Amino acid sequence: MAATLCSKLLPKQGWVPLTQSVRHGSKAVTRHRKPLHIQKQKLLAVTQYIPPAREFPPGAYPSHTKHVQEDNDLTLLMKRELKKLFEDCKMIAVVQNSSSSAEDMMTLRHRLYKHNITVKFFPNKVVRSFLSDSIYCNMGPLFVGPTVMFVSKEPKVKEMLTTLRGSPQMTLLGACVDNTLLSAQGIVSYSKLPSMTVIQGEVVSGLSMLTSHTAYLLQRHPAHLSQLLQQYIKQQSSDGSAEAAPKAEEAT
Amino acid sequence: MAAPSKATVVLKAVKKITVQFCPFESNVRSTREFLALVGSEKARTTNMNCEVITVVKHDKSEPVVDITYVDGEKLLMKGANLTSSEMLSAFQSRCVAKDPQAKVGEKK
Repeated sequence: MAATLCSKLLPKQGWVPLTQSVRHGSKAVTRHRKPLHIQKQKLLAVTQYIPPAREFPPGAYPSHTKHVQEDNDLTLLMKRELKKLFEDCKMIAVVQNSSSSAEDMMTLRHRLYKHNITVKFFPNKVVRSFLSDSIYCNMGPLFVGPTVMFVSKEPKVKEMLTTLRGSPQMTLLGACVDNTLLSAQGIVSYSKLPSMTVIQGEVVSGLSMLTSHTAYLLQRHPAHLSQLLQQYIKQQSSDGSAEAAPKAEEAT
Repeated sequence: MAAPSKATVVLKAVKKITVQFCPFESNVRSTREFLALVGSEKARTTNMNCEVITVVKHDKSEPVVDITYVDGEKLLMKGANLTSSEMLSAFQSRCVAKDPQAKVGEKK
């Protein structure tokens, strides 16, 4: 390069150039870090980035504005399916599985399908954002970690409990039966409830018991009086018959 | 949540693990994750005699993990303010301390 420079800048012989290139042995692209030109060094030093001074670290306080992400189409599809599910099915149970194997899942699904209970998987984020909008917002904290949903049209709680007892790693967290949120103990007590006809009979008998008690109280006094009168008549008749008998005996 | 250092959990020195929590509380996330790690198939195949019992309650109590070792020692972890990785590291350090020979044998 020095040779070419010299040939251009020295048209006449013996003419010393005004500027001379710095003699360096390396090319533009080197394996080692080439020392920067002093001008470039100065420029970089002057234009160095100085970040604004923060009073507190960035993660210390929660931010004012919440970053709301727009739902992509898959999320919308899943939300629509969830909405339909919540409208159709009377019973929705949430179960945590600490990773059962594929065969266990197959057996469980088969057993549940016999009772018309389907097993559904949805991503937790989608479910939680859907629930926070709908009326079932209190179910939100259930959907943490590996969760599975059991849904069915009829609230068949007893069968579900017996099936779940067969697989030890499934933990029943809660259920929404007939738009009522139930805990684990609530589900157990729900399964122990008697059928509707029995309960209706009990309610009717309980209500009619009050009215019958009132009627009994009202009729108590005249009933007592009539009893006393009857007793009196009996006594009179027995005295009368007792008197009549010795009179008859005297007569005869 | 950062994944724990070792993927598998060795339960050789453990007799029983009882995990109890209330799912409607907001501080049970770490306990549930710990349960998912400990109750997985891989962990259970390391020791078939070890029982993992889950109790789901609804009385706003704290999430608690109770571990009973084979030599009778008990480890009680209250997971309300712990992360799952902390709980796992505490649990595994004690497991390794109790059963170093088995661990070394496995590593080799």
